[in-house]
Amino acid sequence: MARMKFLCDADRCIECNACVTACKNEHEVPWGINRRRVVTLNDGKPSERSISMACMHCTDAPCAAVCPVNCFFTTADAVVLHSKDLCIGCGYCFYACPFGAPQYPRVGNFGSRGKMDKCTYCAGGPEADLTTAEYEKYGSNRLAEGKLPLCAEMCSTKALLAGDGEIIAQIYKERVVKRGYGSGAWGWKTAYRETVAI
Amino acid sequence: MLTKRKSGEASRGKLQSFASGLASGVIDRRSFLRQSGLAVGGLAAAGSIQLGAVRKARAAGTAVSGPQVQIKKNICTHCSVGCTVTAEVVNGVWVGQEPSWDSPINRGTHCAKGAAIRELVHSERRLKYPVKLVDGQWQRVSWDQAINEIGDKLLDIRQKYGADSAYWLGSAKYTNEAAYLLRKFGAFWGTNSVDHQARICHSTTVAGVANTWGYGAQTNSYNDIRNAKTMIIMGGNPAEAHPISMQHVLSGKEINRANMIVIDPRFTRTAAHATEYVRLRSGTDIPLVWGILWHIFQNGWEDKEFIRQRVYGMEDVRKEVAKWTPDEVERVTGVPGEQLKRVAYLFSHEKPATVIWCMGATQHTVGTANVRALCILALATGNVGKPGTGANIFRGHTNVQGATDLGLDISTLPLYYGLVEGAWRHWARVWDVSYDWLQSRFDEVPAKAGRPARTRKQNMEAPGITSTRWFDGVNLPEDQVDQKANIKAMMVFGHGGNTVTRIPEAVEGVNKLELLVVADPHPTSFATMGNRKDGVYLLPICTSLEMDGSRTASNRSLQWGEQIVKPAFESKNDYEFLYLLAKKLGFAEELFKNIKVENNVPVPEDILREINRGGWSTGYCGQSPERLKAHMRNQHKFDLVTLRAPKDDPEVGGDYYGLPWPCWGKPEIRHPGTHILYNTNLHVKEGGGAFRARFGVERNGQTLLAEDSYPVGSELTDGYPEITFGILKKLGWDKDLTPDELATIQRIGGNNVDAVSWAIDLSGGIQRVCLERGVMHYGNGKARANAWNLPDPIPVHREPIYSPKPELVAKYPTRPDERQFRIPNNGFTVQKAAVDKNIARSFPIILSSGRLVEYEGGGEETRSNPWLAELQQDMFVEINPADAAERGIKDGAWVWVLGPENNAKTKVKALVTERVGKGVAWMPFHFAGWYQGEDHRSRYPAGTDPVVLGESVNTVTTYGFDPVTGMQETKVTLCQIQAA
Amino acid sequence: MHLLRIALAALMLGGGAAVLAQTGRDVPPAASTANPSGQNPTAASVREDQLLRELNKLQGRVSIPDGKAALLEQPQGREWRQFREGWLPWIGGIAILGMLLALFGFYFTKGRIRLDQTEESGVKILRFNAFERFMHWLTAVCFIVLALTGLNYIFGKRLLMPIIGPDAFAALSQWGKYAHNYLAWPFMLGLLLMLIVWVKDNIPNRVDVAWIRKGGGFLGDAHPSAYRFNAGQKMIFWIVVIGGLLMSATGILMLFPFSATDINGMQLTQAVHAVIGVLFIAAILAHIYIGSLGMEGAYDAMGSGEVDLAWARRHHDLWVEEQRAKTASGPQVHGARPVPAE
Repeated sequence: MARMKFLCDADRCIECNACVTACKNEHEVPWGINRRRVVTLNDGKPSERSISMACMHCTDAPCAAVCPVNCFFTTADAVVLHSKDLCIGCGYCFYACPFGAPQYPRVGNFGSRGKMDKCTYCAGGPEADLTTAEYEKYGSNRLAEGKLPLCAEMCSTKALLAGDGEIIAQIYKERVVKRGYGSGAWGWKTAYRETVAI
Repeated sequence: MLTKRKSGEASRGKLQSFASGLASGVIDRRSFLRQSGLAVGGLAAAGSIQLGAVRKARAAGTAVSGPQVQIKKNICTHCSVGCTVTAEVVNGVWVGQEPSWDSPINRGTHCAKGAAIRELVHSERRLKYPVKLVDGQWQRVSWDQAINEIGDKLLDIRQKYGADSAYWLGSAKYTNEAAYLLRKFGAFWGTNSVDHQARICHSTTVAGVANTWGYGAQTNSYNDIRNAKTMIIMGGNPAEAHPISMQHVLSGKEINRANMIVIDPRFTRTAAHATEYVRLRSGTDIPLVWGILWHIFQNGWEDKEFIRQRVYGMEDVRKEVAKWTPDEVERVTGVPGEQLKRVAYLFSHEKPATVIWCMGATQHTVGTANVRALCILALATGNVGKPGTGANIFRGHTNVQGATDLGLDISTLPLYYGLVEGAWRHWARVWDVSYDWLQSRFDEVPAKAGRPARTRKQNMEAPGITSTRWFDGVNLPEDQVDQKANIKAMMVFGHGGNTVTRIPEAVEGVNKLELLVVADPHPTSFATMGNRKDGVYLLPICTSLEMDGSRTASNRSLQWGEQIVKPAFESKNDYEFLYLLAKKLGFAEELFKNIKVENNVPVPEDILREINRGGWSTGYCGQSPERLKAHMRNQHKFDLVTLRAPKDDPEVGGDYYGLPWPCWGKPEIRHPGTHILYNTNLHVKEGGGAFRARFGVERNGQTLLAEDSYPVGSELTDGYPEITFGILKKLGWDKDLTPDELATIQRIGGNNVDAVSWAIDLSGGIQRVCLERGVMHYGNGKARANAWNLPDPIPVHREPIYSPKPELVAKYPTRPDERQFRIPNNGFTVQKAAVDKNIARSFPIILSSGRLVEYEGGGEETRSNPWLAELQQDMFVEINPADAAERGIKDGAWVWVLGPENNAKTKVKALVTERVGKGVAWMPFHFAGWYQGEDHRSRYPAGTDPVVLGESVNTVTTYGFDPVTGMQETKVTLCQIQAA
Repeated sequence: MHLLRIALAALMLGGGAAVLAQTGRDVPPAASTANPSGQNPTAASVREDQLLRELNKLQGRVSIPDGKAALLEQPQGREWRQFREGWLPWIGGIAILGMLLALFGFYFTKGRIRLDQTEESGVKILRFNAFERFMHWLTAVCFIVLALTGLNYIFGKRLLMPIIGPDAFAALSQWGKYAHNYLAWPFMLGLLLMLIVWVKDNIPNRVDVAWIRKGGGFLGDAHPSAYRFNAGQKMIFWIVVIGGLLMSATGILMLFPFSATDINGMQLTQAVHAVIGVLFIAAILAHIYIGSLGMEGAYDAMGSGEVDLAWARRHHDLWVEEQRAKTASGPQVHGARPVPAE
């Protein structure tokens, strides 16, 4: 069974934010919710690198562990999803998430932090695949259509890879060997307790 | 590279439990659902209350698959790379975007703008119906009323002030067909003041490059950069301006382990991926290039054989370069000699090598010279006309290349025929109207301030006023403007008002106009920048995604975009608007003589066929709509690197993708297009070529024709001039012409048949015969290192008008004051005054401007797109930490940026960063809607204000124009920054 | 922030939580960047493994205004998870169950503390006026709801969810969250009132030393003297005040997340809130026990507000004297109106 992962090749990422807007476009994500974002480290210095980051769909996901209502689940593709019906918007998953993935719509005053929203790996939610209910709550379900997350599919420089972990690690390894450098599979150690050995 | 799952069956097993070690607390989906199923009644109902913001369903439901989904392909409008946009349309609604895997250019990918482009079409912030300004209020009017009133006013202005008093500002987002139509419209109206955004992005490139080797365009392609072993990116930030090009750049860098040298005053996102970063002082490009060439010549690293065969005047360059010793280069540019030696070595040894540039090189008072210096660098090292080499010029909008080609330019008719009588006569033949009638449309210009009067014919052949200075054409005293009267009406089609320098003066210009018409999907900054109370019309024009037509990408490939959805709201497309206006103005009949018009909408295919019939000079003759559509159908067949389809393909066999111009001859002869210009290693029928013999055959005793160099398979094995019917006869090749071709040539030639050249032969016979014999009909000449017809035949360094080093101005002054494009260019006076007043002391920071990846151009469109606007919510100025600390400015704080002219000031946020060096500030140019601290949101018609507004950088930019093209100086001026 | 850290360190006694005390440093500036010209940006590029060795979190720049987004990676989210899922249930469980066990033990060994029968039995004295009782019960009711909903965050999914199912549990928790968030405000109001009204009677003094020395009456025969509040009650008061203030401070930080602190600050805040919360609950359990089941006659003080004079004499002799001195006619008995106005 495939184990879906993201891998951002920082030596390709140019912070063009296509992944961010592709996500907005595909899922009609509202203003203020950033399921994916691009962070630039050492901005303006010769060591600068940008990395596109979203939910990494961790093995043994911290968000799922700390959720007080156990609203998370992992699909057969190892995608970490959650139920907005169960979510109470407590915010704990954000504290636990090593990647800042969970997002909360601001609904009204204090204390009414809305239900958590995060990257679904374009895999919808617990509802039946490709239903209106699923789309309304989680956005589209590309995985069910046999497609991969749009952010990676549209990545301008093909920096953001998505797909079976072993395959994308292989692609990344080949790149690193070919070009002779690589700044690492960002987030893999934290998310999967493993990294891409070159 | 993505692993794409081919099958979409539900059996993909999401419901099966994920076997491998899940820790406690993490549950798989099955047990999750089972658990959920336990809850029955009671509180369970309450469990599904929706407290969070759950998105609304999109217009046409969810399951975007199945038979009801139509796939439409168009081209992204946000830059010149030419990314295919694949749209999913359900019931006439654009519901989703899919990666365009088949396009060899973008291969499924997009940048932020392309990935968000769907929002452009159904944006709630678009102009939905025509409005006019009445007593300071926007009033809804009908299209009929708007066209009638605008038409009456235009005719009135024409009557009172002459045809030149209406300025026609077109758009680089036009399709080729619309661009051509507007240029033709201008000609039929009787003015050459027809311009578009190329003026402010690459007009200097076009002029400089065309004057060097023949055509003013990217010589190779984005894809071809994959072949380069060394690339110099100078004055360009493709990571933000052309993100998809970086796919090719970075792939090339990786596959070839290529050297990627970024030369820029600012450490850009592109520089972050460089193997060598060179920080120069803004505005010292020529000294820097000469500094590189100094090492090349000093060490004999130049390609001597290439220069001998194919370059004229390199010796003159040598003399100029000799002045630029490493010490002097370091004094002027700030770049150490050792580094430039390394760059020189790489560029001349690790070949093929290419130079890539963008607006950092072009937007200068010395823009044309900058560009020429870069071309000379490529020529000196033999890096032109082969894969992986060349001048890879990254242009701005979708179709800025096409709009330039099709003559949305004050100095030429479509396809670079110029404004000479022969050009007019050529187009009169194509348009099937009489030359005399065209001439009668133009004004007679009276003598002014001692300058002679112009007849209609002379005025017809005089370039118009540049778009960079339209407001000078409004504001200057009458006797300063060499046309019948000043500009009174601005007709603005898809063009922002904030992209031109000296906004305070543009505001004055807007206020003085009698008529301002903005035909655009958005109101644009033109609509809000003045304090007008009336005389403004805003007409909703659809985006080019809502219309059919071809677009020319930067690499000269033409791509046919199909209408994705019908024009939204009450908007009309450009073709229809121009037809309705022409009808009102009384020349629709002539204008559309050979173009079919259906329900007031001219058929774009017919317009393209007319372009084909007249586009011989630039090879726009072979790209019939049928061939272009076949390319879009067969995108997947084209090779990623060579851009060529397999020869055996029935529809597109052997073609280069998009039939990059020049695509010679009639469509029937199936020229494949030209992927790499001037490539002598290919037969001309396969897209080969040579430098264009455009400038004569000899100068000062030296030949201008190539020596011992010619395209593969040529029957002429040396240089030769442009082919005319006369030469054809001498060669005895006129026998090859068909009787029809001969008849056409004779008809065109009249008494002087021998003078009929390859460029005006409407039969295409001369081209066909030459191609058969392996001969390049435009001649086989030398590229010119010395372009004697330009103000600076050899590029020389000239300090910016507002130089941070006034002590260098005496040695490297700007050009003397001159009249250009009907008005004076007083750069020298302004520069001298700046030195005398010691402006550099009170305004000690160099101010430069540039592009953000999220926005484009004036930005009205992209700032109205919430998906993009969210990513850049404030106008800012990048300031070095040292400068910020001196001024007590914190990151994110409000600051005033003060300019040295017009007491201009802008209130923006500080972004304290080391991207800029000490003493340098940088601002993006996409913002508008604030003016000198005031928020003008209320000036937009209700509901059309962009999500994000901000100060325009051009409020504080200053005087300075390239003498060849009128290009504005946006990259170097001076400013002062204060905490607000 | 610093105080919180110390408080937490003190509470947690090292272990996994110490990691939480680290706050993130920013990415260190590169050596000399006055002019990066001449450098090879590719060769100099940052590498994840090296950064993670040097830093505990990776912070960069984003253009969106949401500052949180600039944090690329904070592996210590895993450590906070270890605290929340590993340590906290044990701390909470031990504290609360331990307290309950202790109270049970006490009850079964020592039994209920009986009311002495004296000549003053049956005579009532006003101990808490209506306003005092109102603020006590306001705080108390809020506390109970806050405690239950708070405990739900830790134990709900372990204890309640298997019984009522996820949907009902989620709905309950959703309302619990609202209750927790909104009742925090009246709780804080009550807390503030109690502090203002009762602080003067809760200043520790010498009498308290004696009281403690005698173990509040459990050691030796003579019951120790006390003013209005004995040392035990004062302890509860200060536990409530200090605990309550800490809970309020951390609670407000969590009601307005990231308004004053970053992710590590939030984690620390949550940890402090949770640990103090469970300890607070344990302490209040004892208070509830002694005020109801543990001592005969004590409940009346907060029930009717009037206590048996005999009880008062035994437990708060000095206070009774004080009250008596205030009125010429002896102790206020039988419905005499309280001195403080409402």
